[in-house]
Amino acid sequence: MSFNLVNLLLLLGIFTAVVVTVFLFEFRKVQVNLLKREKEMNQRMYQLSILRELGERIGYSLKIDQIVEIIAGSLRRLLDYSTVSYILVTPKPDGTRKIEYNINLEKPVNKKFIDDNKKVMLKSLNILLGKDFQVDDLEETISGTITDPTSIESVGSFFNVPIVIGDSPVGLLNISSNQKNRYKKEEVEILYTIMNQASDAVTKLQHVLNVEKGKLNSMVASMADGVLMIDNQKQLSVINTAAKLMLGFSGENVTIFEVLDALATTFDLRNKLQDSMREDRLVISPAVTLNNHFFQILISPVKDKDKNFLGSVVLFHDITKEKEVEKMREDFTNMMVHELRSPLTGIKGIASLLESDRVKQDEKKFSEFVNLIVTNTKDMLGLVNDLLDVAKLESGKFQLIKKATPIRSVIDTRIGSFKALADEGSLELVSHVDEKVPENLEFDEHKISQVLNNFLSNSIKFTNAGGKITICAFLLPRGIDLARTVVEQKLVWPGIKQGISFQDNYLVVAVTDTGEGIPADKIDKLFNKFVQLENTAKSGKKGTGLGLVVSKGVVEAHNGVIGVFSEAGEGTTFYFTLPININK
Amino acid sequence: MSEKAKILVVEDEEILLAALEEELNQGGYETQGAADGSEGLEKIKSFKPDLVLLDLVMPKMDGMQVLKKMKEDSETKNVPVVILTNLSDYERISEALSLGAKDYLVKANYSLADLLDKVKTVLSRNQSGETK
Repeated sequence: MSFNLVNLLLLLGIFTAVVVTVFLFEFRKVQVNLLKREKEMNQRMYQLSILRELGERIGYSLKIDQIVEIIAGSLRRLLDYSTVSYILVTPKPDGTRKIEYNINLEKPVNKKFIDDNKKVMLKSLNILLGKDFQVDDLEETISGTITDPTSIESVGSFFNVPIVIGDSPVGLLNISSNQKNRYKKEEVEILYTIMNQASDAVTKLQHVLNVEKGKLNSMVASMADGVLMIDNQKQLSVINTAAKLMLGFSGENVTIFEVLDALATTFDLRNKLQDSMREDRLVISPAVTLNNHFFQILISPVKDKDKNFLGSVVLFHDITKEKEVEKMREDFTNMMVHELRSPLTGIKGIASLLESDRVKQDEKKFSEFVNLIVTNTKDMLGLVNDLLDVAKLESGKFQLIKKATPIRSVIDTRIGSFKALADEGSLELVSHVDEKVPENLEFDEHKISQVLNNFLSNSIKFTNAGGKITICAFLLPRGIDLARTVVEQKLVWPGIKQGISFQDNYLVVAVTDTGEGIPADKIDKLFNKFVQLENTAKSGKKGTGLGLVVSKGVVEAHNGVIGVFSEAGEGTTFYFTLPININK
Repeated sequence: MSEKAKILVVEDEEILLAALEEELNQGGYETQGAADGSEGLEKIKSFKPDLVLLDLVMPKMDGMQVLKKMKEDSETKNVPVVILTNLSDYERISEALSLGAKDYLVKANYSLADLLDKVKTVLSRNQSGETK
């Protein structure tokens, strides 16, 4: 029994020992694993915290040298090293490259240490970029602790991490230590990860910026205004197509010097840029002439959010059209003044002469003078009335009094009142009203008569003796060609064009003459207020010339269309249309 | 020189032309009128005036062209010219004066006395051989 008990106890002891041993062994294994995990976690956390810190410090900077500087400056908490150094290759505007070598000494090292560091980095860089840069090409900056000539330390171990933006390597980061075999695979990997993350962030940011820049560029390119951007190095960084056209450039690449040359005689861009920069304000030059165009040139300084001067934007705004309108308006005022003042001066002179004995006694002269006064005041009154009508049309205060009116009798009345004048000029005056024309139509009888008066007096004025003037009226159904209808009506309209039809049924009323015709280039301007008075003054024919401008307003107020066909030497037709489907 | 001095009036505004001619006639001058620049140039040669009153704004050929053509022709270049103008034409007045016109008369508000005085002065200066 006791044996059994002893045996049992012994077995139990052995079992317990085995269990405890196994347990202890397993426990140790787990503990080692846990510690390893913890260490990994710590490292990972640390890596992340560095990345986060870097992220915050880098912000949205795109300057790779700043980013690398920040990374290099943060590594001391992560790694143990003697020096951290980097080389960055950046292209310069003149096509060459700038190769910066920057070394930060964490511990005092001697000159040879630095030289060796330079050499190993250059070797790797040349392999990475496929170049053959020499030590002399480097622009060197040393920071950190001072170099120590007495130090006998040499580079014990090092590793390089490439700096890559997008897909292209732009430089190298180097960590060196005076101890041999200092760096383990994990430490190298951490730096790789950090470098990759930073480079990824910059690449993404650059991509976003490129997309935005692309949008901006295409907007600038498609602008009608000419746009130049000059950077703070006084180089031309942007010139859009419009600006090239305005300045007369055809090639792709334009330099600031070519721009200054192109403007040389007309505009001192250099000085204005300086003004804008110095006074920090928008400089506007009101009217600069360039290749027969007028430009308003605006120069504005460009700054970043920290008020750093980035350059200037120059905008060329073509104001030729505005200038033309302004000139037309001035001419119009001048002509109007001339048209009113000259006869008025004459009337004043003649009227005072009527009192002189010489004129009083000369009966023929006296009545000639009275006649001059009458016709001149009548012309002036006509001009004033036309001007008032035009003013009313323009201000939208032109009112029609529409009522059902027989167009036939309106035409007959006009023929009656112009008969004498036509006879005087030996002109035949006839009317042709199609039988389908309805008896009554809604329109303003007085105003439409005024339009016909204008057409008729023009025709009589510009048709030589023996000529013929025809007033006609006919229906033009929707979509039917006007030229075809004119032929069907057995009418001849010199210079008529095919392809004119309307979306509604219209009555067409026209006055055709066999006069001298109107040159094609003048036809477009017939209904322009500004051109009319000027032409009248030059043609030497009496009349204000504003009649057609008023007529156009009258017809359009009736929802009709006014038009003209003409052929030199053959004759002219002025026509207007009145809609006949309007039930008012 | 005892006979009446001859004055050519070139003016497109009919009523103003009539007034100017009558006023000059009453002032003792012999006149002819022309309604545009080209008629004016013809009459300078046929009428041989001692003085030309020349409007600047005219159809066919304006006063400035008439003045230039007169100065190009040795027969007419010494005939004194007085420009008829409106107040608004300062630029053109100085252009005309630089082209050799002797004086100018503002149409809008001249008086009979102004007209006759100006004509008399220019005529007498020209006879005494002064150039300006």
